[in-house]
Amino acid sequence: MKILRRVLGGPAGAILLAFFLAACAMLVAGVSPLDGFQALFIGSLGGRQQIAETLVQTTALLFPALGISLAFRAGLFNIGAEGQLLVGGLAAGAIGAHFAASTPIAIFVLLACGFIGGGFWGAIAGWLRAQFNANEIISTLMLNFVALSLANYLVSGPLKSSAAAGAETAPLPAASWLPLLIPDTRLSIGLVIAIVAAFVLRWVFTRTVFGYELRAAGEAPEAARRNGVNMPRMTLLALTLSGAIAGLGGATLVTGVLHRFNTQLSPGYGYTAIAVALVGDLNPLWVCVAAFGFGILEAGGLAMQALADVPKDAIHVIEGLIILVLAARRYIATRAEAAPI
Amino acid sequence: METRADLAPGVRLRLRGIGKSFPGVRAVDGVDLELYSGEIHALVGENGAGKSTLANIAFGALRPDEGVVETGGNVVGLVHQHFELVGRLSVWQNVLLGREPRRGWSIDAAAARRRVIDLAQRNGLEVDPDALVDELPIGVQQRVELLRELEREPAVLLLDEPTAALAPAEIESFFQTIVHLAQRGTAVMIVTHKLQEVISYSKRVSVMRHGKVVGRFETAATTIDEIARAMVGGELPRVAQRESVTQTPCFRMANVSAGSGGTAIRDISFEVNAGEIVGIAGVEGNGQTTLADAIAEMIPHTGSVDVAGANGRIGIIPQDRHREGLVLGWSIVDNAILGRQHMSGTRRGVLIDRRAAREDAQAIVRSLDVRAASVDVAVRTLSGGNQQKIVVGRSLLGKPQFVLAYQPTRGIDVGAAALVQSRLVEARNAGTAVLLISFELDEILMLADRVLVMYRGAIAGSFARAEIDRARIGRLMAGSEA
Amino acid sequence: MSNAGAMLVATLVTLTLIKATPIIYAALGGVISERAGVVNIGLEGMMAGGAFTAVVFSGMTGSPLIGVLAGIGAGAVLGFVLGFAATVFKVDQIVAGTGINLVALGGAAYALVLLYNQPGASPQVNAAGNLVVHLGPIDLHALTILAFACALLLHAVLYYTPWGLRVRACGENPRAVHDAGLHPLRLRLWAVIISGALAGLGGAFLSLGEVNLYSDGMTAGRGFIALAAVIFGRWTPWGATGAAIFFGFFEALQYVLQGRIGWLPADAMQAIPYIAALFAIAGLVGKVRAPAADGIPY
Repeated sequence: MKILRRVLGGPAGAILLAFFLAACAMLVAGVSPLDGFQALFIGSLGGRQQIAETLVQTTALLFPALGISLAFRAGLFNIGAEGQLLVGGLAAGAIGAHFAASTPIAIFVLLACGFIGGGFWGAIAGWLRAQFNANEIISTLMLNFVALSLANYLVSGPLKSSAAAGAETAPLPAASWLPLLIPDTRLSIGLVIAIVAAFVLRWVFTRTVFGYELRAAGEAPEAARRNGVNMPRMTLLALTLSGAIAGLGGATLVTGVLHRFNTQLSPGYGYTAIAVALVGDLNPLWVCVAAFGFGILEAGGLAMQALADVPKDAIHVIEGLIILVLAARRYIATRAEAAPI
Repeated sequence: METRADLAPGVRLRLRGIGKSFPGVRAVDGVDLELYSGEIHALVGENGAGKSTLANIAFGALRPDEGVVETGGNVVGLVHQHFELVGRLSVWQNVLLGREPRRGWSIDAAAARRRVIDLAQRNGLEVDPDALVDELPIGVQQRVELLRELEREPAVLLLDEPTAALAPAEIESFFQTIVHLAQRGTAVMIVTHKLQEVISYSKRVSVMRHGKVVGRFETAATTIDEIARAMVGGELPRVAQRESVTQTPCFRMANVSAGSGGTAIRDISFEVNAGEIVGIAGVEGNGQTTLADAIAEMIPHTGSVDVAGANGRIGIIPQDRHREGLVLGWSIVDNAILGRQHMSGTRRGVLIDRRAAREDAQAIVRSLDVRAASVDVAVRTLSGGNQQKIVVGRSLLGKPQFVLAYQPTRGIDVGAAALVQSRLVEARNAGTAVLLISFELDEILMLADRVLVMYRGAIAGSFARAEIDRARIGRLMAGSEA
Repeated sequence: MSNAGAMLVATLVTLTLIKATPIIYAALGGVISERAGVVNIGLEGMMAGGAFTAVVFSGMTGSPLIGVLAGIGAGAVLGFVLGFAATVFKVDQIVAGTGINLVALGGAAYALVLLYNQPGASPQVNAAGNLVVHLGPIDLHALTILAFACALLLHAVLYYTPWGLRVRACGENPRAVHDAGLHPLRLRLWAVIISGALAGLGGAFLSLGEVNLYSDGMTAGRGFIALAAVIFGRWTPWGATGAAIFFGFFEALQYVLQGRIGWLPADAMQAIPYIAALFAIAGLVGKVRAPAADGIPY
């Protein structure tokens, strides 16, 4: 039991255990886990292209995961990163399609659009919570569906490019594309922006008065309220910033990867990012590591499907299992010091 | 570890060599105890001496690490210090939870009501079986808790600090019920720190300290002083001496009304002078929390609350240190500046001044003798007394003009309490206006320069220190004197 | 009223009840679980699990009844997982529910490929779509009637039986339940299992009652709308049922309005039920109080 406790004591243990469970699932499905995992890792880390693609996925997950971490640290369960990312991307895509400026200015403006768009979407939930005490889990999730409807409507109607066959905006002028980090891949400097954002967030959490109050609000709301934290304002700010970071992610996807907006922008990054944030313990730097791990899963999942005939959706099962195992290992780790009745 | 071994005649419960440890604490250490039919046995000791743990072991809620609980098959009941009632269920639903009378697949509500009314009458405890527990005064909730235990007809009844929240008159009627129960053969053990009750009602006394029974007395052959010395293991700690200071008005409340329902306060006006401790005496639930919240500007109120003085700083010691005062997962350093994070001394622009925070933490640790490995340990790992010292120390940092102390020594041991009380008196001596709200009349009488009695949300009486009349204050607290 | 108008109303009522039915089941599941003190964020996944399993078993046996029963079972199993995590492991209920959702939704998509070798949607199977009672111009599905029966039953159980009293006590103060010699964790576990079973039944209605297949994303947030219905309905079976009908109405409205109001495009109309849910949870300021120990591990 002691050894088990030690092995399961860290996130690594949780991930190992989840992979073990996934291997069992593969066996049941009649696939050799060895083939499955080999395909997964070759597909994600087997070459320059593969690594670049893994980092593209890492970037896409990292922004919403950082936003979610911020909200969760404030005690607010923002399940709506998906919608916030979508609205951020929509804002960047809608304006970017009709906006011409020289490179640094254009990129800055479009990223700001994403930040503001996502922030606006998060602020709706923040306002509903601060003003009406509306449960943010439900409101952020409902807003995901509203965002999807809104985006579907706009790209198939008012914003639809006359040149494109599908429902999407016109492409962005090349001047507003994010520069590539590795040539001939899809990896842009969005990754750098995301990592910088993680360091900034860490600095905010640990050094600033705002971060101090945010953490107090999350860990001990009543103590925070009684000690000078304006809780409605904190709720609004935290959900707004959380959405803004996710929205920034949407904008980097538009300016860095797709170069236009359509609703296939995210295959559920905003949901997977919840797992990323939790695995990263809501700590921005660990969230970066977790995002890389999940990036491997996302990028390798496609390879697994092609090479080993394991459906890509298995990845979501692994992610769910990681969350469950991780949550349970906290219990295993803390059980020894359980408080007396 | 429970056996059905036969007990000696008259013995209803026997504890043999009971030991229990929690991480870092030896809570109970080799305790032997026998409870006799028809006797009230008092178990006294400081907070943290292991009394409640022992009571929970005797009840069966906790498993001892060593030793045997012999009940001989007797039913044991336990009335908790903090009532374990379901607020949004009715009285009968609480009393009969788990033993509901049935008619087919449903609860026979009529029979349930009859059973509760009958039980209440037999024990002289009047209650309305259909009342919602949340809407009952504390004293009546206590009756419900007691009824719930009596319903199981226990041969042994354990009472954990049963009178903590009762007015003097309620305490008297409560003990009438208990004495009556004992006369009919129930073995009663009462866990308490109120030695006056021990002397008045118990037959035997056991004193616990550091998990051990360090004294056993026949009540008739002992004194309060002897019991108290056994409790603290020596002489009682002394509280700082009051010095006379010049007095000028510093804190003023005028016509303040707030809250609603039973705990509302109405039209309260009083002043606290610089260098004065004003004590608010009263039974819990008479609006003290509403008053404290109004002063802290946590709830809307009418009327005015003013603090006069150079910096207008106020310090607040909240009632519930865990929920309202501390972030338990944080270090002493981080907690040291909570509430002052906006003030110039603890921030540099948008940043927290960590060096200042550390200095504050060290100042608190020094001034209140906080026992911690370092200022970086999580507050969660400290004892209740040390946690409270941090809250008190923080509220007194930087010489506040006014301090609101709500139950500042609740649930901490005598030594820590004396230190906290001393710091409050010293702050007073240095010119701070202190408003002390406490449910312990003794604490008020010891510290206050002036006593206000609070009853049903209003100030029912005011006494300068020279004219304090304990009996009259008691009557005012119970509402039996207009 | 004109004939066309009456037809329209009948269509709207029929459609409202159909759209409300899965939400009623899931919301009742939410009520029992939250009354016992466990917030069930996993309703969405449990619905998906139920919907998918129902299709698989109906396809295998040819009997939609067995399919529905299997859907109930699948929901119960997921409920057990959440209940076990929430009680024995004292896992944060929101986190565990999120995990359940990922596992169930991902697992269904995964299994679609494994079993049928086609992503996105299952083949068509025998459905329970014809179990319909005609009340004049209004069609009433047997499972809709059962949903109301479940609401009645849950109301009776919660408010009139010893077990219901204990469950409610458990959601308010599990310690009191423990002191009464009962097992709060066991009560909570059973409540969450029943919650999952109800959500699974709601899912089975989605796949076998409304249509005859499972497709990815077919739950479309209904589990979360059901959670809104629980709050909107103030944690009571009838209240939650009423709230579910309210949401069902807006979902039905979207279909009825399509093609009738030219200026409001179909994509925008899809947002109507979700916006209705937003307004519903925002409109309850200060009026509701959750069970005191809701969401707090014991």
